[in-house]
Amino acid sequence: MESRKLNSVDEFNEYRAKILNSHKGDYPVIYVCGGTPCLAKGSRAVAEAFRKEIEAQGLECRVELSLKITGCQGFCSKGPVVSFGDDIVYMEVKPKHVPEIIEKTVKRGEIIEALGYKDPATGKKAATFDGIPFYSHQKQLILGDLRKLDPFEIDDYIARGGYASLDRAFSMDPDAIIDTIEASGLRGRGGGGFPAGRKWRSCRNIETETRYVLCNGDEGDPGAFMDRSIMEGNPHAVIEGMIIGARAVGAHKGYAYIRDEYPLAVEAMKKAVVDATALGILGKNILGSGFDFEVKITRGGGAFVCGESSALMRSVEGKVGEPRAKYIRSVEKGLYEQPTVLNNVETWANVPLIINNGVQWYRQTGTDGSPGTKVFSLAGKVENTGLVEVPMGITIRELVEDIGGGVLGGKRFKAVQTGGPSGGCIPQSKMDLPIDFDSLTDAGSMMGSGGIIVMDEETCMVDVAKYFISFLVEESCGKCAPCRDGLPRMLRILTDITEGKGKEGDIEVLEELCDVLSYGALCGLGTSAPNPVLSTIRYFRDEYEAHIRDKRCPGHVCKSFITYRIDADACTGCTLCAKQCPQKCISGEKKQTHVIDQDKCIKCNVCREVCKFDAVRVE
Amino acid sequence: MENIKIVIDGKEVEAIRDQSVLDVARENGIYIPALCYHPEVEASGGSCRVCLVEAHQNGRMRLVTSCNYPAREGLEIKTDTDLVRRIRKGVVELLLSRVPDSDVIRELATRDGIEDTRFFKDEGDNYRYKCIACSLCTLVCEEVVGVSAISMLNRGYEKEPGTPYHKASQACIGCGACAYACPTQAIAMTDEGALRKIWGREFSMVSCSVCGKPYIPEAQVDWIVKTTGKERSFFDKCPDHR
Repeated sequence: MESRKLNSVDEFNEYRAKILNSHKGDYPVIYVCGGTPCLAKGSRAVAEAFRKEIEAQGLECRVELSLKITGCQGFCSKGPVVSFGDDIVYMEVKPKHVPEIIEKTVKRGEIIEALGYKDPATGKKAATFDGIPFYSHQKQLILGDLRKLDPFEIDDYIARGGYASLDRAFSMDPDAIIDTIEASGLRGRGGGGFPAGRKWRSCRNIETETRYVLCNGDEGDPGAFMDRSIMEGNPHAVIEGMIIGARAVGAHKGYAYIRDEYPLAVEAMKKAVVDATALGILGKNILGSGFDFEVKITRGGGAFVCGESSALMRSVEGKVGEPRAKYIRSVEKGLYEQPTVLNNVETWANVPLIINNGVQWYRQTGTDGSPGTKVFSLAGKVENTGLVEVPMGITIRELVEDIGGGVLGGKRFKAVQTGGPSGGCIPQSKMDLPIDFDSLTDAGSMMGSGGIIVMDEETCMVDVAKYFISFLVEESCGKCAPCRDGLPRMLRILTDITEGKGKEGDIEVLEELCDVLSYGALCGLGTSAPNPVLSTIRYFRDEYEAHIRDKRCPGHVCKSFITYRIDADACTGCTLCAKQCPQKCISGEKKQTHVIDQDKCIKCNVCREVCKFDAVRVE
Repeated sequence: MENIKIVIDGKEVEAIRDQSVLDVARENGIYIPALCYHPEVEASGGSCRVCLVEAHQNGRMRLVTSCNYPAREGLEIKTDTDLVRRIRKGVVELLLSRVPDSDVIRELATRDGIEDTRFFKDEGDNYRYKCIACSLCTLVCEEVVGVSAISMLNRGYEKEPGTPYHKASQACIGCGACAYACPTQAIAMTDEGALRKIWGREFSMVSCSVCGKPYIPEAQVDWIVKTTGKERSFFDKCPDHR
C-alpha cells in the first residue's frame, strides 16, 4: 500500500480495511520459511522455484496464488519448511518438489504425505500441523504469527490485526495499562522473571521529565535463538509492545539493542521502525493521540555481558559494556541516568496480546505464578530441534518427548540444560518438573531466556560444566575480582578433573569457589556463573567422583580416559576409517579387520563417525 | 542532606542518607578492609569486593560492597559474620593468586588466616606485578585529573590499565595521581633528579626557586594553567615555600 502518515485511529482502521479489500478474499498462500536455519538450508532457492513455477504456469493456474517468505516456522531441523493454507506443512522441501506441490496441493488440494514429517517411532508420515506432534503439542500465541507473516511487510502485520491494540492503549489511562500488565502476571522472559508490571510502575512513579524504554535483543546464550526468531519474523509485535510500554511509563524514546551477529534481525527491526514511522505509528503524535515515541536500533558488539541490564545501558550510551557497581535500580537511574524500563524481545511481544485480549484470556494459559507461554529453542541431542512455544507449566518430559520426539538416535536421556551459562543441568529424575520460573530456580537452574539443550548418555557432565565455565571465562568483563580471577581457577580445576589430574577435595574446592562467586561477584553474570558447576555436582556428583577416583569418564567423552578399538566381529575391512584417519594410524588389509595404533591415535572420533558398520568402539 | 541512623555491628551510628556505608564505618572507627574505593572518586568502588558486608534491610539480607552501598534509615550492617569472613577469604585468596608479590594483598591474606593460595598463580606471561585491575587509577585520571591518559584495556582475565596500545601517551601530564591512588602500589613511577618516568614517558620537572627541589612536571603546570587560568609564576615555588 502507498504509505502516508495516518493521523487518527479512524484513518488507521480505513487503511487496514483497504489492505484487507486488496487481498481479494481468501485465496491460498504458500508460506516459505525465511528464518535463518531454513535460509541456510536453501529456502531462498525453494521460494525462487515457486516464484518461477507460478509465473511459468501463468493463467493456466486456476487459483490465484500468493507466495510469502515468512519468519521462522519452528521446525528448524527439518527445514526448509513450506506450509500451505492453515493446515498443510512440508519438511525438507527442495526446488525439485515445487512442481509437484503446485500441481497436487495448490491446484487440487491434495496432501503429499511423502513430504511430511516421518515419526521416528512408527515411521508414519504426517503433513498437517495437527498431525505432527512437534506442532500439535505447542501453544503458539507468539510464534503462530511468525509462520504466516512477511516480516518485511507492515501491511501484512496490520492485516492480521497488528497495531490494533494501540487504539485501546491510547484510550486507557497509563496507570490502567500498568494495572492490566500487572494483573496479567507477565514476567520478564529474559531470564530473571521479574514482574513486568511492577517494573513499569516503579519507573512511572519516579518524578522526572525523561524516561526510556529499552528492548533487550542481545540474546547470548549458546544454543538460544528465540529472540532472534521473533525479531526476524515478527518485528512489529516487539515495536507494538514497546509503544504500549512507553505510553504506560511516559517514555518518548526507546532503543532496541540487537546483537550485530543477528544481521537479519537488525534488518527486519530497522525496516519495521522505518515503515511504522512512515505510517505515523511511531514518531510525533502517534495516530493523532498526542503521544510521541520514537525507537532507535542500537547494534551490540556481541559481548555476553551486554545482556546484563546496566552493561547494556552503558553500551547503548556508547561506553564500554560493563555492569555498574552501584546499588541503584535502572528503573530509578538507568540509561543516561534516567528512569528506564528494560524488557526483552519476547516480553515486549507478549504485551499487545494482553492489551488486545485481556487479563482473563491471558491467564487461561500457563500457571498462576507464571502465566502465558514461553518460547524455547530446543537444541542438542533431540530428534526435533527448533523453535517451540508451550504453555508455562508443561513438564520437561512433554517438551523433550512429545514435542522433541525424544533423544536423537534412540539413545538414553541424561539431562537438559536450561538457562544457558547462567542456568544448570536438570537430570532424568526431574523430568516431570513443570517448566516455570520458580520450579527451575528451585531445581538449581533457571528459565534463562529459553535455551533448552538436551543431553544424552554420551554426554560427560564434567565436560559440560567445563564448557560453560570456559565460555564465561571468555565473556567475563573483568571488572570484579571473583568473576575475573575465580572463573579461570574453576576452569583449571575442571580441566584437571577431565584430564585425569583431579584429586580428592577438588569438588569441595569447586563448591567453595562457587560460593565466592554467587555471593561476591558484582553482576548477574558472575553470581549465576556457578550454576553449571553446582547443578552438575548436585545431580551428577558420581560422574565427578568417577573422573577423580576411578580415572573413568562415564560418558566416554574425556579423551584422557578413553581408547578407540575396532570390533573384529563388526569390521568388514572396508578401509573407510583408515582412509579418513588424520593420523594415518589405522592399518589393515582390504576385507580384513583393521587395527588402531593406540600410540598415534588422537581420539578425534573420525573413524567412529565414518564407520558404516558401527565397528569402532569407545571404551 | 538528611541525617539518619544506621546500625553497624550492633552499634547505632549517625550517617547521611546515601552516604557510603564504608565511609560511615570509618568515621566510627569500625574497620572494614577495602582496596578499590576512594572517597574523592565518585565512580570508584565495587570492583575488588574485599569490603563485603552483610546488609540487613526490609527483612532481607544480602552481601554487598560497603564502599558503594548507600546508607538508608533502618539499615543494619554486619561486618564480621561467618559468611562475610568466608566469602572475603575466598576473594582475598583469589587476589593473592593474581598478585602473589603484593605485600598489601599478602597482609590482607595473613589477616584472614591465609598462608598461601591453593590456586594457580599468575606467573610467567601472565605476571601482573601488583595490579589487581581495580581501575581506580583510570578513574582518578578521568574524573579527578581530567586527562584520561590511561584506561582499562582488554577484558576479563586480560583486563589491565594502560595507555592506548601501550604507547607513550601524549595526553599524560605525568602528575602521578594514578600511582598515588593505587591501593597496591602497582604503578611504576620514578623521580630521578629533574626527570620523572611514568607510563613509558619521561617528564622534566619544574624546580622550586627557593629550595631547588624538582616537584612538579612541566606538563602538569601547562595543564593546570590551561584549565584553571592560574598564573604560571605561581608554580615557581613548591607548596612548602609558597
